[in-house]
Amino acid sequence: MRLMESGKMSGHSTWPEWVYIGVVVALLCYVGAEAWNVERIVEHVPADAEIIKVTGQQWLWTFEHEDGTKEIGELHVEKGKAYKFEITSKDVIHSFNIHDYVVLLDAVPGRVNTVWFSPGEAGEYPIQCREYCGLIHYNMRATLFVEDKGA
Amino acid sequence: MKVIFGIGLVLATLVILPSIRYVLAAGDEPGEYLDRRVEIWGLFYRLMIVAFTVGTVVSGMIVWLVLRFRESNPKAKPTEYEADGKW
Repeated sequence: MRLMESGKMSGHSTWPEWVYIGVVVALLCYVGAEAWNVERIVEHVPADAEIIKVTGQQWLWTFEHEDGTKEIGELHVEKGKAYKFEITSKDVIHSFNIHDYVVLLDAVPGRVNTVWFSPGEAGEYPIQCREYCGLIHYNMRATLFVEDKGA
Repeated sequence: MKVIFGIGLVLATLVILPSIRYVLAAGDEPGEYLDRRVEIWGLFYRLMIVAFTVGTVVSGMIVWLVLRFRESNPKAKPTEYEADGKW
């Protein structure tokens, strides 16, 4: 009988290879499942989140709270509350980023993208455009002020 | 087989489905919000552990293969095809 037909072509046991393949496939499944699960958890917006409309334009950020208050270049929020950003752009594509709170989402003209967060510590945090949007892109910044309740 | 299927059905009804519903409902309590920094960076570090583990296993396997199956290895022996020309 030919070696190939008898399965002895390799001249060695093949079970370690199957274990190897199994481990790698299991790890890939774990990676996919974990990523899917975290994405699902993070994207679940709390029902009581306050909406803040965020508009990017060359080269500044404008914020509008639910009560109609508008801010330019500054955003004041309360510690411990949930906020949902509705992000859009007036001109070109920008990207809204609060690095310290891992908030990052594109601002696209004609489209509203949403992301939410809940600031846990009072302080000042930089907001920066993360998509090259023209000459002054590097300076398209704002400041997030997280304040204690009642401050 | 029927017993296993029956046990699986009971477990799915009593444990798995309520667990899924509980997990999907997480985060609905007012005032209790997850910290996305913890979730996202936690995911990043877990996946980095997986990536480096896979990298170590794969590169280690290649190094072992190259050393073990080099012609100059004292343990090397020809396969039947190499030794006798059997196919």
